[in-house]
Amino acid sequence: MTQMIAEAVRQASVNFMDTVAMLLPRILITASIVAVGWVIAWALKWAVRWILIWSRFNHFCERIGVSAVLKTADLPPADHLVSLIVFWLVWVGFLLSGVDVLGFTALEGMVRSFAQFVPRLIVAIVIVVLGFVVANFAWRATLIAAVNARVPSPRVVSGAVRALVLILAGAMALDQIALARTIVLTAFAIAFGAVMLGLAIAFGVGGGGIARRILDHWFPEHPQAAEQEEFRHL
Amino acid sequence: MAVADDSLLSDDLLRQLMATGHVDILVGVPTLNNASTVVDVVRAAQRGIAQYFPRARALIFNADSGSDDGTPTLVRDATTDDTGTVSASRPLRTTNRISTPYHGLPGKGSALRVIFAVADLLSADAIVTLDPNVISVTPDWIPALAAPVRDGHADLVAPRYPRAATDGPLVTQLVRPLVRAAYGWTLYEPLMGEFGCSPQFAAHCLEHPALGTVIPEDVDVWMAAEALAKGFRPAQAALGPRLLGAPRKRPALRDVFQQVMDAVCACLELHDAYWLPRGAADPVPCFGTLNGAVEPGPHPDVTAMAEAFARDVAALRPVLATILTETTLAGVTAAAATPPRLVYDDDLWAATVFEFLLAYHRAVMTREHVTQTLLPLYLGRTAAFLMQHASSEPAIVDAAFESLCLAFERAKPSAAALWKKA
Amino acid sequence: MTAGDPLWYKDAVIYQLHVKTFFDSDGDGVGDFRGLTSKLDYLQALGVNTLWLLPTFPSPFRDDGYDIADYYSIHPMYGTMEDFQGFLAAAHDRGLRVVTELVLNHTSDKHPWFLQARSSRDNPRRDWYVWSDTDDKYRGVRIIFLDTETSNWAWDPVSRQYYWHRFFSHQPDLNYDNPAVREEMWQVMKFWAELGVDGFRVDAVPYLVEREGTTCEGMPETHEVIKFLRGRLDAHFPGRMLLAEANQVPELVRPYFGDGDEFHMAFHFPLMTRMFMAIRLEDRGPLTDIIRRTPALPDNCQWAVFLRNHDELTLEMVTPEEREFMYDEYARDPVARLNLGIRRRLAPLLDGDRRRVELMNGLLMSLPGSPIVYYGDEIGMGDNVYLGDRNGVRTPMQWSGGWNGGFSTADPERLAFAMISNPVYGYQAVNVLAQERSGHTLLNWMRRLIRVRQSTRVFSRGSLTLLEPPNQRVLAYVRAFQKEQVLVVNNLSGTVQAVELDLSSLAGAIPVEMFGQSLFPRIGTQPYLLTLGPHAFYWFRLRRL
Repeated sequence: MTQMIAEAVRQASVNFMDTVAMLLPRILITASIVAVGWVIAWALKWAVRWILIWSRFNHFCERIGVSAVLKTADLPPADHLVSLIVFWLVWVGFLLSGVDVLGFTALEGMVRSFAQFVPRLIVAIVIVVLGFVVANFAWRATLIAAVNARVPSPRVVSGAVRALVLILAGAMALDQIALARTIVLTAFAIAFGAVMLGLAIAFGVGGGGIARRILDHWFPEHPQAAEQEEFRHL
Repeated sequence: MAVADDSLLSDDLLRQLMATGHVDILVGVPTLNNASTVVDVVRAAQRGIAQYFPRARALIFNADSGSDDGTPTLVRDATTDDTGTVSASRPLRTTNRISTPYHGLPGKGSALRVIFAVADLLSADAIVTLDPNVISVTPDWIPALAAPVRDGHADLVAPRYPRAATDGPLVTQLVRPLVRAAYGWTLYEPLMGEFGCSPQFAAHCLEHPALGTVIPEDVDVWMAAEALAKGFRPAQAALGPRLLGAPRKRPALRDVFQQVMDAVCACLELHDAYWLPRGAADPVPCFGTLNGAVEPGPHPDVTAMAEAFARDVAALRPVLATILTETTLAGVTAAAATPPRLVYDDDLWAATVFEFLLAYHRAVMTREHVTQTLLPLYLGRTAAFLMQHASSEPAIVDAAFESLCLAFERAKPSAAALWKKA
Repeated sequence: MTAGDPLWYKDAVIYQLHVKTFFDSDGDGVGDFRGLTSKLDYLQALGVNTLWLLPTFPSPFRDDGYDIADYYSIHPMYGTMEDFQGFLAAAHDRGLRVVTELVLNHTSDKHPWFLQARSSRDNPRRDWYVWSDTDDKYRGVRIIFLDTETSNWAWDPVSRQYYWHRFFSHQPDLNYDNPAVREEMWQVMKFWAELGVDGFRVDAVPYLVEREGTTCEGMPETHEVIKFLRGRLDAHFPGRMLLAEANQVPELVRPYFGDGDEFHMAFHFPLMTRMFMAIRLEDRGPLTDIIRRTPALPDNCQWAVFLRNHDELTLEMVTPEEREFMYDEYARDPVARLNLGIRRRLAPLLDGDRRRVELMNGLLMSLPGSPIVYYGDEIGMGDNVYLGDRNGVRTPMQWSGGWNGGFSTADPERLAFAMISNPVYGYQAVNVLAQERSGHTLLNWMRRLIRVRQSTRVFSRGSLTLLEPPNQRVLAYVRAFQKEQVLVVNNLSGTVQAVELDLSSLAGAIPVEMFGQSLFPRIGTQPYLLTLGPHAFYWFRLRRL
């Protein structure tokens, strides 16, 4: 009995040793892949950062309004952020390939699904970023145009426009990564509808006169009437 | 010879030019749907030539960019109404008249290209361009604009009009002080509606790619700036007041403002090597004396303007914050805070304009947004100026204009330093 | 020489000369009729067919002979009556007609008629002049010689009355309300016509009759006087010609032609001024304007056109701006200005520019009217503005480079007027002898020009149709007479020009250049393109073959 137990233990030890002997090189390979990956990701991070600085990327972001958003969210500057994203994407990629080398079946499934998820994540990030850009641009354009066109409550109008664009972009991003699609869709529909309904009610109930003024402004019946107030600027 | 490409002058036009031959004075009238006013302008030009240059070989040249209201026909008819009606003083030589449509990009720049090309081909000694929309043009504008060139005193003669406080604030409050401070010349009307120029300057403009392409509209300010920046001798001619006829369709203020600011800023970008190091303004010689009653013009509702200014500043605050420095923004906010007692002083206004200029230069946002954000502030400044000076004596108004220009000159050096850094 | 075509004056090319300064045959320093006779071959060779002589009557010469003291003889310094008749016969033998001066309006105050008239108020000749107790009559009538006269009335201390004079006070006006005066002037005309004179150039025509409350110019009664004289002349001497001097715009000159029963010819003064203006402005406007304003004439009448004459180039009929321009361009030196005009000859006026001289003569010979060549201008003679009055353009004819330019054998100091002797226009440089020796001189060119003009009657009698090419520097017109058509194209500018002529109405014709007989492309319905050198002009005979 004792012998049986000893045999089993020995067998297990042998198996364990075999397994360890078999795994050890893989672990070493994994470790080296992860290490090399870190170095490459780090190098890429600095390369990307350098290229972005050289191409005045921050300047561009400032222009399209991204910088302002980042600042508001207490995030690092745009070039820093992009290089960080690149670093993490590359390093996580290496990390996963390293894990893959280990040959754990359970891990393999996770790695595969993560590999499938990464492109969609990237797309989602891009959508969010673009959404911010578009929302900011649309907000400013609406605000300035509304002010110059003497549209009442320009900030409400422009804020609504920004909210709509952001909601749309958020919904698209979530849809892209396919997280709780039904909930996202429902929430989007509710949020979008709420904004539109709110605007409609505000416009209809509180602003019949304002609505008429706006419509008059955009579709003047007597063009001169609107111009009479102006005098010669040149 | 600096003659433009083939497409600029049609064969038919060339035949007419061949028959015209060398001219001493060329009066160019670029038109687009100016039926209501162009006849008087052409007649004034005819009389001006007859009265003041009776011996000159002259050509009145109309370049039309596709009017559909019969402007070219009217020009031709105005010309058939021959010198018989002005027999009191008629030119010794035949005054040639040509009206031609031109092809290419529509816009005043293209029209001027044709006019300059014609002047170059005919070796005109002096070129005068008239605005077809001005109803107050008189025959003596022709010698006022042409004589300094003919006498060899100048390459570009800009106009100078007597201006009331309410008359053309876009010029008096913005373009004039800005151009003066930047370029360092006391040019009163950089948006030259009409001007005289020498053949050398015309040839220079003709060769310049900017004319008619980069700046299709408001090319006048580019011409003034180009003359200053490239060392052509500037001069000014005192004319009477400038009154415009009612256009068929008046362009919206925002479009006008956008065009003017784009043109001015484009010039500043183009010429920064010249203007950045310039110091205090040199005087541009002025020929003649300003006369003619200053037309007060329609009086705007300044109280409403001031209230609108307060609302606009509040609304635009987040945008303004990305353009203006904190000090200036605080100043503007304070100025807008109490609409009935709106005070927007010269130095604050000069700082505002230069900071917008820098934002435009750095493109912190789309340039259209920069200029359109300046528009409400411009209206606020105008309201503030009118509150103070709408009923002032002309001399006091002129002094106020001058002090504004000096404020811009004071604000320029620091702005120039920041411009270089950007 | 009275036979032949009664309309001869229409085909005339007139040569205007001063006997006094043309040729001196007897060495007394003054030209004379024998001298003139000896130079008729020269004039014949030039191609002219009519001579117009400035006055040669006895005169105190206070107005260069226009103050006549005897209407029935020749001043002795010009020769005898026989000399004159000899000249007339020699001229007629060569086919040259002769036109003399007839000063109707006034006489010299040394004329026996006036001496008798002023001797007493009862004298039978008293009424031959215009007298008044006051100088109030005819108030408002303009004074012509503003520089010298203060009134049109002059006080006669002998008969203690004022007498009327439109010109100098030594030139009392005859009284044409008096039939005896008219009769006497007819006798004068008859006297000279009987001798064989072919025509009279009548001086100062508008002023013959005075009427209260008018300008006293061109009165209906004046026209009656002219009609009276013309009637007599036609009745007794058919084919003789009357040429009027009326320095006015063509509309106002037109009445002196009547219905073809007053003057045969009259000078076209503004056309001359406009020619000078147009060539300096390099613009046809002044010429087309005056051509359009020139009224049509009765069939038997003709304009007399000229470039220069014995007087100043008159600027009376131009606007102040135009006059200022003409002064600036043609008389920058104020000494060249006289009254309202410029006292210079053709060549100096045109800066001695042969091309311009040729163009001006080309215009003269191709525009409607009978052209007058002023003596010396055919060789490009200069002037001497320092001689005073208008004598600067009346210096002696320059025949050769020798003694007194071949004009006279007298001592140079004795000459009526000094010869031009500067190196540019002096007789050594500019003279007939030298110019006859070369084919390309102005003289020979003028001979050719006159010959070409006289080769057709289209210039002398034809109609004129202005063309309107867009190039204002080019003056073009078509002259047409019967079946003949001539196209004339003139480049008024000093630079090369291209011109497109609308000749569609002449389509099919072949232009033949008249000086060289060169053929040009047939005229079609498209614009006819010509290029012209500086101040060039073309005359094309249009043939339909």
